[in-house]
Amino acid sequence: MSKKRKSFSLLLVSLMALALVVSACGGNGNSATNNSSAGGNGKGEAPVNLIWYTIGTPQKDVDRVMEEVSKYTQEKINATITMKMVDWGDYQQKMQVNVASGEPMDILFTSAGGFDYVQNARKGAFMELDDLLEQYGKELKDTIDPAFLEGSKVDGHNYGVPANKELPQQEVWRFNKGLVDKYNLDITNVRSLDSIEPLLKTIKENEPTITTFAMDKNYVPYVPYDYVITNLPLAVKLDTTDYKIVNILETPEMKEALSTMRKYYQAGYVAPEAATTGSTSDLMTSGQWFMDRAQTQPSADNLWSASYGYPVVSTQASDAIITNTSVQGSIMAISANSEYPEKAMEFLNLLNTDPVLRNMVDSGIEGVHYKKLDDTHYENLAESKNYDMPSYSLGNNMLLYLNPSDADDKWEQFKQFNAEGVNSPILSFNFDSTKVATQMAAVQNVKEQFWSSLMTGTVDPESYLPKAIEKFKEAGLDQVMAEAQTQLDAWRAENNK
Amino acid sequence: MYRPIFLRYLLIGGNKVTAFFKTLIKNKVMLFMVLPGALWFFFFSYMPLVGTIVAFKQYRFTREGFWASIVKSEWVGWDNFKFLFSTNDAYLITRNTLFYNLAFIIIGLVLSVAMAILLSELVGKKLAKVYQTGMFLPYFLSWVIVGYFAFSFLSMDRGMLNQVLGWFGVDAIQWYSEPKYWPYILIFVSLWKSIGYNSVVYLASIMGIDKSLYEAAMIDGASKWQQIKGITIPMLSPIIIIMTLLAVGRIFYADFGLFYQVPRDSGTLYAVTNVIDTYVYRGLKTTGEIGMSTAAGLYQSVVGFALVMISNFVVRKIDKDSALF
Repeated sequence: MSKKRKSFSLLLVSLMALALVVSACGGNGNSATNNSSAGGNGKGEAPVNLIWYTIGTPQKDVDRVMEEVSKYTQEKINATITMKMVDWGDYQQKMQVNVASGEPMDILFTSAGGFDYVQNARKGAFMELDDLLEQYGKELKDTIDPAFLEGSKVDGHNYGVPANKELPQQEVWRFNKGLVDKYNLDITNVRSLDSIEPLLKTIKENEPTITTFAMDKNYVPYVPYDYVITNLPLAVKLDTTDYKIVNILETPEMKEALSTMRKYYQAGYVAPEAATTGSTSDLMTSGQWFMDRAQTQPSADNLWSASYGYPVVSTQASDAIITNTSVQGSIMAISANSEYPEKAMEFLNLLNTDPVLRNMVDSGIEGVHYKKLDDTHYENLAESKNYDMPSYSLGNNMLLYLNPSDADDKWEQFKQFNAEGVNSPILSFNFDSTKVATQMAAVQNVKEQFWSSLMTGTVDPESYLPKAIEKFKEAGLDQVMAEAQTQLDAWRAENNK
Repeated sequence: MYRPIFLRYLLIGGNKVTAFFKTLIKNKVMLFMVLPGALWFFFFSYMPLVGTIVAFKQYRFTREGFWASIVKSEWVGWDNFKFLFSTNDAYLITRNTLFYNLAFIIIGLVLSVAMAILLSELVGKKLAKVYQTGMFLPYFLSWVIVGYFAFSFLSMDRGMLNQVLGWFGVDAIQWYSEPKYWPYILIFVSLWKSIGYNSVVYLASIMGIDKSLYEAAMIDGASKWQQIKGITIPMLSPIIIIMTLLAVGRIFYADFGLFYQVPRDSGTLYAVTNVIDTYVYRGLKTTGEIGMSTAAGLYQSVVGFALVMISNFVVRKIDKDSALF
């Protein structure tokens, strides 16, 4: 028996030793391939290959376009580009694994929502860019709205290059214009959640088969608070003076909104399965909806109407507020394991300042994927379906060519929209969750349990809201809140707020 | 079994080396057949064992890659295990995981054995094949698809079940926000998916039972029921015990797809649908703390390992030949 056991442990040890050897080989292999394409900064040397991970459904022509992009960048900065796209739903998880396992990469997309920028910056996933920005990113710093660079600082340092786009977030009610016109509805006086009731009622009575108030499980009624941590119920009132963090579920505004939602749900305005619906895109395609809530940007109605193929109109549902979420909506970071951070920064600088490169990355190859109409306008060609990229995640939006239907001063409108946005009181405060990581994981589970069904009105807030609040407390929300308050107070003192 | 011999030579070494190689050559065909499986286990089960160390670390990225990151991350002792036990959720998810799996094992066993016996007794062998294939099919469906099957029955406004209830004048039920129905739904769906596969395993061993036993029994005037009770089930018992032992070993592993996809991740149902796997997934998909997910995985493995050892020990006490090892 003892012999058997001894032999077993011997086997185990040898296996482990072998495992280390094998994995070490794997590691070496990676760096070797990287080195082969390495080179210095000077011209005439072999160009550096940068690996760029970005979000979006992988497109057929990515490699083809990147070949073209590489020709351009090789001439400008002696670097070639390999782009790897990871689909929307997988991005968070796959990047978590890619970064943790040290997959070679130089540039990667990150944001408040997908592959969390602040947390991953703190975990050391990204390179600190202060010096690199100074050295290789001068033009970039001059081009981008300074609020973006300021708002994406973590503990006083920049870890990424934000895309220049709309700065504030503003909620709007969107309406299917066909139905608005058919029933001659007045949408000019609509703003609060209560004010939409008569409209919902009319449509429900006359068009029973249509989803009156479209929403998916991520819907949250708008209340004038800014959330301290994305996805958790801790928030500060927008007009706060004492910077007190509260549980959003215990605020009178949210309580009222939830009973209204319950009323709407029971009246059948909300789809019965809203709390488990992942996306409303099939409704948008079929046009079988009357209204929903969305985030806007200048000339958004044009954009929506063009993409759905029928007219959509919108009206404001909130003020335009500049929050961490909106500032950190799209960032490109340089990976901590990048072999060529300087080159990567040079590339980011070029991408955000050079219209030729920026539009090539966005729309593909001229004459293949798009056709230029004049200096600032372009039109998609049939091939563009093989290279349909999300513009927001690929750098400075304000360099993009315009669609023929766009207003000529589209980017001017953006600048004005950005200038008019109001700063959230806690803009650029980033919570550090290290000390309460245990509670965060538990609180997250409670949130998943109650959130969607409460927010969509699927359950009665009378009985479920107290239950949810109780469960959050059990999971340690109070400790998280206290820790957040301490950090916020310190931040406030430091920044003289 | 080749394994013990193989190991003994490996250990003794020296003058027995030639003997070891002789054994290797003698059994080369068999060993070669074992090779793919052995390699699979090595790469996917033994190599990752080293990573268990992450459970005791606060994992932080470094420039030099994965191994360097592990080595350089800070030791945090048992901190990563705390979140599992910080709420009474630990009790809830452990209870759900254990009880559902227990139900799957017991009911699944009874039904698959019954199904296997029924199929083996069918006279029309063609028809038996048709049934067998029909029952086997769900096993190959992905849980995402099964989830949509269930949804087409349970949807509040368009589901078949609510329409049938409507004919009888019963009000539509909000299936996805009523926890009380879900233990039954989950057990039903899980059995529907797995019974076909398991019954084929049992059917195969029924086919292997010596037919002369039945002939002898029939001559003695045993009824069908007596034959089943006296021959089929006793002859099946070793395979039943092995299958059950294997299932018990995985009793701490919930079928993620079943508990995540079929209830459509509906929050109101968590009290009866949350199991260890889904709990860990939800807690970590946003925070991305690799240390904590490793800790949860280790906890699962250790308890699962203990359960296999205990049940094997019990089986060995009762019937030594039926034990796994």
